[in-house]
Amino acid sequence: MQILGKEVAIGSVDRELRLLWEQDKASTNASLMNLAVYSENDGAILRNSDLVQEITREHACRAILIGIDRDDPKASIRAWITAHCHLRHGRKSVCCEQIAFQLTGRATGRLRNTVFAHLNSDLPLVFWWQGELSSIFSERLYSLIERFVFDSSQWSDPAESFKCIERALKNANNFSPMDMEWTRSYAVRLAVAGLYDDPLAKQSLEYTNSIRIKVHPNHKMAGLQLLAWIIQSNGWKPLMDKRQDTEISDRFCFETNEGVEVTAVVETASSAAPIAELEISSPDCTVRVSRGADSRYLHQLLNVGSHRVEQSTPVSGNDPAELFMAQLSRGGKNSLFRMIIPTFLSFLGVNEEEIYGTNIE
Amino acid sequence: MNNPFRKDLVSRSQPEACTVVIFGATGDLTHRKLIPALYNLQLEGALPAGVKIVGFARREKTDEQFRSGLEEINRKVSRSGHDDEVWADFAQKIHYHQSEFQDADGYKRLAESLEEIDQERGGKGNRLFYIASAPSFFDDVLESLKDAGLNSCRAGCWSRVIVEKPFGIDLPSAQHLNEVVNKTFQEKDTYRIDHYLGKETAQNIMVLRFANAIFEPLWNNNYIDHIQITCAENLGMEGGRGGYYDKAGALRDMVQNHLLQLLSLVAMEPPTDLTADGVRDEKVKVLRSLRQWDTPELVAENVVRAQYTEGHVDGEKCVGYCQEDRVDPESTTEAYVALRIMIDTWRWSGVPFFVRMGKQLPKKATEISVHFKEPPTVLFNALSGGVPGGNVLVIRIQPDEGISLRMVSKIPGARLRLEPVKMDFHYSTSFGKGSPEAYERLLLDSMAGDATLFARRDEVEEAWKFIDHIESAWHESSNPPPVADYVAGTWGPKEADDLLAEGGRKWRRL
Ligand SMILES: NC(=O)c1ccc[n+]([C@@H]2O[C@H](COP(=O)([O-])OP(=O)(O)OC[C@H]3O[C@@H](n4cnc5c(N)ncnc54)[C@H](OP(=O)(O)O)[C@@H]3O)[C@@H](O)[C@H]2O)c1
Repeated sequence: MQILGKEVAIGSVDRELRLLWEQDKASTNASLMNLAVYSENDGAILRNSDLVQEITREHACRAILIGIDRDDPKASIRAWITAHCHLRHGRKSVCCEQIAFQLTGRATGRLRNTVFAHLNSDLPLVFWWQGELSSIFSERLYSLIERFVFDSSQWSDPAESFKCIERALKNANNFSPMDMEWTRSYAVRLAVAGLYDDPLAKQSLEYTNSIRIKVHPNHKMAGLQLLAWIIQSNGWKPLMDKRQDTEISDRFCFETNEGVEVTAVVETASSAAPIAELEISSPDCTVRVSRGADSRYLHQLLNVGSHRVEQSTPVSGNDPAELFMAQLSRGGKNSLFRMIIPTFLSFLGVNEEEIYGTNIE
Repeated sequence: MNNPFRKDLVSRSQPEACTVVIFGATGDLTHRKLIPALYNLQLEGALPAGVKIVGFARREKTDEQFRSGLEEINRKVSRSGHDDEVWADFAQKIHYHQSEFQDADGYKRLAESLEEIDQERGGKGNRLFYIASAPSFFDDVLESLKDAGLNSCRAGCWSRVIVEKPFGIDLPSAQHLNEVVNKTFQEKDTYRIDHYLGKETAQNIMVLRFANAIFEPLWNNNYIDHIQITCAENLGMEGGRGGYYDKAGALRDMVQNHLLQLLSLVAMEPPTDLTADGVRDEKVKVLRSLRQWDTPELVAENVVRAQYTEGHVDGEKCVGYCQEDRVDPESTTEAYVALRIMIDTWRWSGVPFFVRMGKQLPKKATEISVHFKEPPTVLFNALSGGVPGGNVLVIRIQPDEGISLRMVSKIPGARLRLEPVKMDFHYSTSFGKGSPEAYERLLLDSMAGDATLFARRDEVEEAWKFIDHIESAWHESSNPPPVADYVAGTWGPKEADDLLAEGGRKWRRL
C-alpha cells in the first residue's frame, strides 16, 4: 500500500493534504476536475494509482481512488494521500493530489458521505467505473456525477447494464455517459468521415449495399456501436425481420434513403485487433479502414471510379489510461454517443419500455 | 451536400477536400509553418482525405527533391514529431510545379495539372491558393490566376485564396491589393491571414468575455481605468531580417495587424452571433472608432517611436539598431513603438489603451492587461499607504499562455496589512497537452469556409487609415516627432513611460 502514499485518519484527510502542500513550496497544485476511479476488483486500487499518475500528465485533477470489497462482512474504511508530480517545460513541478479510500462491507452510504465529502468544490466530477455495474450504481450516486466513464467490453450482460445507463440518463440532469468502447472506435469514425469527404464517395453513400465490421470477440459492443453510428448518421431504416445472429456473426438489414437494401455483418475473430476492419461498399465505391492485430497504424483505403486514396494514421493502443485521456480531451456532452444509444440498444434487443422495468441488484 | 459522418463528430465547421496550391513553396514559410501544419493535421486525422498539395516556385526541382527538402525541415520543427510511415503517405500528396510568378504559360500548365487532379475526383475540385510570396508578387500571381481562369470553379465547388502578411504597406497599397484580390476572388473567398488570431489565447478572449457572466458587466469605462497590450521580443535583426524590417518598422509590422486585431477583440461589443461576419462586423466598428492622431502634434503627444542602442539581451552583447546587418546607418525606422489609443464609443469613452511593441527587450512575451479602477478612498483605502495597486486581469498570449487576476488580500497577523496576490491559470499546467499551431487551425478553417479568424477587407483598410496618419507625421511632416532611444535589453525609452505617467499609471512589469 506504500504506493498510495501516507495513510491518514479519515477525519484528517483535508488537514494532511494541506500539510503535504506546505512541505513543498516549489510545486503548483493544478486541478480542473475531480476524478474518481472506482473498482470492486481485488488490488485494483494499486493499479489505478499508476493510471492516475499517467493521466495527471495531461489532465490536472484531484484524484479519488475507491476500492470496495463488498463481500467482506465487516464494514471498514481506510484512507491514504499522495501527490503525483510532473515537470513541465523542464522547470515547474505541477502536482495533482490523490486520496485513496479502501472500503469493505456495505458501502453505498459511506461512499456518499465520506468519500464524496472530499470533492474539490465547484469542479466537475468525472467518475471512472471499472468492471461490471453493481447496485452501488444507483440514483444516489449518479446524481452527483457529471461524466460517467465505463467500459462495456467488461460487462457480462451489456443489455442489462445499458438499461441502467439509459435510466440514469433519463433521471439525472447533468449525467453524461461515455463508453470506452465508443472511444476505441473514434479513430475509425474519424477516418471514415475523412474518406467520405471525397465528393464521389459521398455521392455513392446512398447506394451502399454492404457493410462489414470485424472485431475481437471482447469488443463486439464497439462493432455494434460503429454500425449504429453509420445507420443513424445516414438516417437509414432498419429491416428488423431480416436480422440473423450466429455464433460468430450478427447480420442486420437496412434500407437507405434511395431504397437500396444494405446487408451489415458484425463478425468476430479472436486473433483480430479490437476493431480490425470496417468496409462500406456500393457498386462504385469501397471505403475500408483496417488495423492489423499489433499495428500502430490505421490503414485507410478509398476506391472510387478510377480514383484511389490510401493512407495510414497512427492510433493509440488499447491501454486504459490512453483511452481514458482520449475521452477526457474531447470533453463535451458526448451528444453523438447519446444519439446512437437507442439504435445500438435495439441491436442488443432492448426497447424503450424495458428500460424502466429493470433493476440490477 | 454535407458529409453525414461529420455530423457532431467534431464540433467545428467541416473542412472539405481540396487542392492546396502554395505560391512561394520553396520559401521559409512553406517549410517551417505550412507543410508542418498540414502534416500535423494529417497525423491527427483532421486533414480530409484527398487533399493534394502543389508547390509553385521558380527553381528547378523534381517532386522527389521538393518532398525530401520539406521532410528534412519537418523532422526538425513538427509539433508532434515526425513519423516515417505517415510522412510516406503524406508526401504522396505533394507535387512540385516549376514556374516564374510572371509566366503565363506556367499558369496554363498549372491549370492542366489541377484539371488532372480534379478528373481523378470525378471532375469535382475545390482549390485553395496560398500566396506565400513576397508582397511585391501578389499582383502578378492574382492577375495570372485570373487570366488562366483559375479563380473560377465548377458549380458546387469553391476556389479560395489565402493572402499572407504584410497586406499592403499603407492604405493606398492595401486598397489597391484589395481591388486586385477582389477582381479575382470574391470577398467571401478571400482569407487574409493574421496568425495571431489562430492562437488559442486570442480565441479565448471572446470566450473569457462572453462565456463568463462576471467580466462583461465590468468591461467598460465605469470600472476599467486603462488597458495595456504589450508585444515584447528579445531578438533584433538576426537572419537578415534587417532588410525587410528597416522598410517596415514596428508600427507596420506588428501594430497594424496583430496588435490592432487583439485590441478589437478586447474592445468589441458582443456580436449578435458567432458567424464570421457577425464577429468581424463588431471588430471593424472598434477600428472605425479609433480616434485619429492626424497631426504631427497629436502624434508627438500620443505615440513614441524609438530605436535600441548597444546593450545586452539574455546576457549576450548586441549592437544598436542602426548598426544591424542590412539596416541603413541613418535609419529613422522604429524598432519600438508605444501608443496611446482612444476608442470613441460609449463603452470606452475616456479609457486609454496603451499599446507597445519592441525589439531587443528583456524577454519575449505578448499579453493584454486590463487595469481596473481603484476602489473608493474609504475603508481600507483610507488607511495609511492605501491599497497597493488595483485589480489587474492579464491575458497572456505567448509564450506561457494563460490568465491571471491580481487582487488585494490581508497579510495574516494582528495588524491590518494589505498585499496584492495573484490568481493564476496556465494552459500548460491545467491542460497538459500543447495547443495546436495557429497555422493548423487557420488552414483547416479556410478548407471549411470559416473566415472568422481572418481579417476582412474593411478591417485591414480601417487599420491602415489609423496607422497612415502616424507614418505620415513621422516621415512626411516638416516637424516630425523625434526618434527616442533605449538601451537594448531594457524595457524601452523613458518617453514611453511618460506616455502613461499621467494619473500615476505605469507599464506593467512582465
Ligand atoms: N517566414 C515566415 O515565418 C513568415 C511569417 C509570416 C509571414 N510571412 C510572409 O510570407 C511570405 C513568404 O515568406 P518566406 O519567408 O517564405 O519568403 P522566402 O523564403 O523569401 O520565399 C520566397 C518564395 O518565393 C519564390 N519566388 C520568388 N520570386 C519568384 C518568382 N519570380 N517566381 C516564382 N517564385 C518566386 C521563391 O522561389 P525560389 O526559391 O524558387 O526562388 C520562394 O519559394 C512573405 O510575404 C512574408 O512576409 C513569412
